[in-house]
Amino acid sequence: MTVSNGTPYSEALSAYQASAARPLKPAGDDTQTLLEQYHPDYRADTLDTIKVGPNSGDRCHRQLAELLQADARIDEADLAGAPVVKTDVLVIGGGGAGCAAALVARQAGAEVILATKLRLGDSNTVMAEGGIQASIEKSDTPQMHFDDTLKAGHFNAERELVAAMVKDGPDVIRWLIQQGMQFDLDEFGDLLTRRAGGTSANRVCYYRDYTGLEMMRVLREAVQNSDIDVWDYSPAVELLANESGHCAGAVLSNLKNCSYVQVVAKTVIIATGGIGRMHLNGFPTSNHFGATGDGLILAYRLGAKLRELDSFQYHPTGLAWPQHLAGSLITEGVRSAGTWLLNGHGERFIDELLPRDVVAAAILRECAEGRGITIEDGVCGVWLDTPGLELRNPGILQQRFPKLLNLGKKAGIDPSRSPLLIYPTLHYQNGGVVIDANGATTVPGLYCVGEASGGIHGKNRIMGNALLEIISFGRRAGEHAAAQRHNKGHKQVGLEHLSRLRRELTISGMPMERKSPMLFPDCAKFDDDADYDGLRRHRRNKVTQE
Amino acid sequence: MSQLNQVLLHESNRVGADLEAWFAAAGGQGLAKALAAPEAIIPLIREAGLRGLGGSGFPTYKKWGFVAAQSNSKEKYLICNGNEDEPGTFKDRILLQQAPHQVIEGATITALACGINHIIFYINPDQQKSIEAMREAVSQWQASEQIAAIEKVLGKTIEYRVLPSSGHYIGGEETAAIESVEGKFPFPRGKPPFPAESGVHGCPTLINNMETLSNVPHILRNGAEWFQGLGLGASTGTKIYCLTGDVLYPGAYELPMGTPLSTLINDYGGGMLLDKKLKAVFTGGPSNTLLTPKDLDVPLDYESVRERQSSLGTGAMIVISEGTGIVKRVSEYVSFFAHSSCGQCPPCKTGTHYAALLLSKIDTGQGSRADLDALENLCTILPGAGRCHMLDGALKVMESSLYHFRHEYEQALVL
Repeated sequence: MTVSNGTPYSEALSAYQASAARPLKPAGDDTQTLLEQYHPDYRADTLDTIKVGPNSGDRCHRQLAELLQADARIDEADLAGAPVVKTDVLVIGGGGAGCAAALVARQAGAEVILATKLRLGDSNTVMAEGGIQASIEKSDTPQMHFDDTLKAGHFNAERELVAAMVKDGPDVIRWLIQQGMQFDLDEFGDLLTRRAGGTSANRVCYYRDYTGLEMMRVLREAVQNSDIDVWDYSPAVELLANESGHCAGAVLSNLKNCSYVQVVAKTVIIATGGIGRMHLNGFPTSNHFGATGDGLILAYRLGAKLRELDSFQYHPTGLAWPQHLAGSLITEGVRSAGTWLLNGHGERFIDELLPRDVVAAAILRECAEGRGITIEDGVCGVWLDTPGLELRNPGILQQRFPKLLNLGKKAGIDPSRSPLLIYPTLHYQNGGVVIDANGATTVPGLYCVGEASGGIHGKNRIMGNALLEIISFGRRAGEHAAAQRHNKGHKQVGLEHLSRLRRELTISGMPMERKSPMLFPDCAKFDDDADYDGLRRHRRNKVTQE
Repeated sequence: MSQLNQVLLHESNRVGADLEAWFAAAGGQGLAKALAAPEAIIPLIREAGLRGLGGSGFPTYKKWGFVAAQSNSKEKYLICNGNEDEPGTFKDRILLQQAPHQVIEGATITALACGINHIIFYINPDQQKSIEAMREAVSQWQASEQIAAIEKVLGKTIEYRVLPSSGHYIGGEETAAIESVEGKFPFPRGKPPFPAESGVHGCPTLINNMETLSNVPHILRNGAEWFQGLGLGASTGTKIYCLTGDVLYPGAYELPMGTPLSTLINDYGGGMLLDKKLKAVFTGGPSNTLLTPKDLDVPLDYESVRERQSSLGTGAMIVISEGTGIVKRVSEYVSFFAHSSCGQCPPCKTGTHYAALLLSKIDTGQGSRADLDALENLCTILPGAGRCHMLDGALKVMESSLYHFRHEYEQALVL
């Protein structure tokens, strides 16, 4: 992004004073103009038209287009000697959505393998801080939740999916409590709720400011206490197709002993999460190490349609400084509790509770127009006025936002005394694989849930809907997929779809050197011996020599 | 693609189930000549050198001659074999859907030549579109004026019937097709008696592939010399090659009989995918000996391919490149045969099953040397042990892969 020099950090810090009242600066542009001018999704120079596959003709970010139109990492020869394991349901991804799907599928009687690239729970679910939406308050209804979700998504969401999700809401909370999850309660033991940006009622249930972490804790325990087969360090490198082109399993790469395993399954549930580690437009990200969009790529190759590929969420409040923590998320809960955003001149420039894309665009505008706070070349941001919040609600940080205080400790800044420098961070992929209310994609046998799926959030997601989505659709897909275990088996299972891909790529003149899925971010450092691809080559050479 | 040498798949013939359009495209002229001189048909076919294009390459006139010579039965049957179910073959469905009248006219001329009065279009039930197109086309014929003329020359009433087969691969075998038409499970019969003497309900029966029959109207119309001129070298006519696998443009290509394999792959298939090296070609079935890169120059006609110890078969060419596991492919094909075995001959029933088991064991990295030895053993003791040729086909592909790519099998073993 273009950044013009704003107020220097030290100058802004010494001028800063926590204050009880600050008038909101009148809005200059209307929101649409603001978005078009400053939201990264709208930068035409970063977009590319997709030429190959079911979304041909759609436009999306160049980095994503490159991965969608890249060659596969493996060839049929790589499967020679690869053991075949059979199961009913294969869940790819060990985050909240994957665990929920696996638990429900197992409970329904299916044999389940859950494969995850890193370890169970290494996911963006644990990054979710703000909470989970469910219309449980007396003053609230699923209809209002539905309206809020559609409106915040600029009416691009699929109504059927949103309706399914908001209706599931209260039951999802009940299910989570049954699994053992804790929520913040009032003195009578009722669930506390707060309001999310862009919504019309108090609807977010939460536990401190690490709701996702608490959710993952119980889901992980539940999975480990069940007889679901959990495969750690086993990223999926390709899906398998049967003779009719239906999904028939996946090829997993076992990172521990560097070998491939073919898992032949009646149904596959992709729950691989988002794409933050692609660092679109050079933005920092709040996502975990493994969020490289693998599921999108794999599903696309098998012929699944994707949607809203040009729409990503940049969370307004990512930490901008210190550098080693850049991109770390500060929960929206801080803003919904009443924290202000201030520019370099100490002015409130936007209503903090507008939808995330608008707030993020407003921050980018302040930085671009020289009203930000500059700390060194290229690092710019605005204040998150936490001392002001503490002044108006003494003790609130300690009580409600322990994770924020912990982040401050790591950064060497005390949020109750000094404001935090923040800048939008790449947070969420709004679109994804097209699914129906059962989580089924357009490819028979293939399901997709969680952040990798699309259609639920339209072009912008509101706080708390992500955690609701993963459980709601995770359970739906788990149940539906488990019911398919009685289908007759696949006649022939293989990688035939890759020939089609390679033909289309060659005919469209795409470079064949690029390989996808990405599996690990570009910044990943491996020891020489453990270099992911290098090790495979090494091993292959050794075999040939023998 | 140049249409110069296209006959069956020529644009003008692909009119679908529309009899008027077919007549407008010079259809019916062959039939008119046949009606004028039915006794001249077999000599003409002989001169043209038409052969069975379903896989055998047997001279068509001989087969017809046997049936025509049967004078002791008034009822004679023609089974137009469209059961195609083998991996990599997809020519019949194109002919049936896009040029159904071509097949019907060819079958009618054949009936006139041999005195046949029951024509059965025997079609794989998985090809619902082909069946619909044929039903529509047949009803158009039955309503047309041609029927009266045909029956007059034939001297009997003629029956056209579209019959979905049972969908078993083995149902494409000649005698199995006869069983199927009689309403039974398609168990191949022992020979003799040959179908020409005793086929459907004990009557003389002729079985021809859809592609063979489709050629007949054109030979009648344009003459034997024209047909001879279509082929390259000593071969005559054209062949529809079904090109699949690791090439850029897979598809059905109608080319002069005798077109070299390299021309098919490079000029029509657009070359190997990703410019990889050719590893092997599974031909027509895939129940034949593999072709390898040294066979790239082979002209694709029946004799030349046979000289390389393989067979053209249905014309299916499954091309695989370096980077494809031979064991995996062979394992897939053999388990296809194991699945397809009708089970009446124990060597085939247990042999294909056991071979498939051993192959998949080796392919998935659990095979031992004893398994490989057992596999080789099967290749020597089983051939010829089945009534039909299915078992032999399965063994042939296994044996030749063992011959050419033994190192791949060895590599996959757990020593």
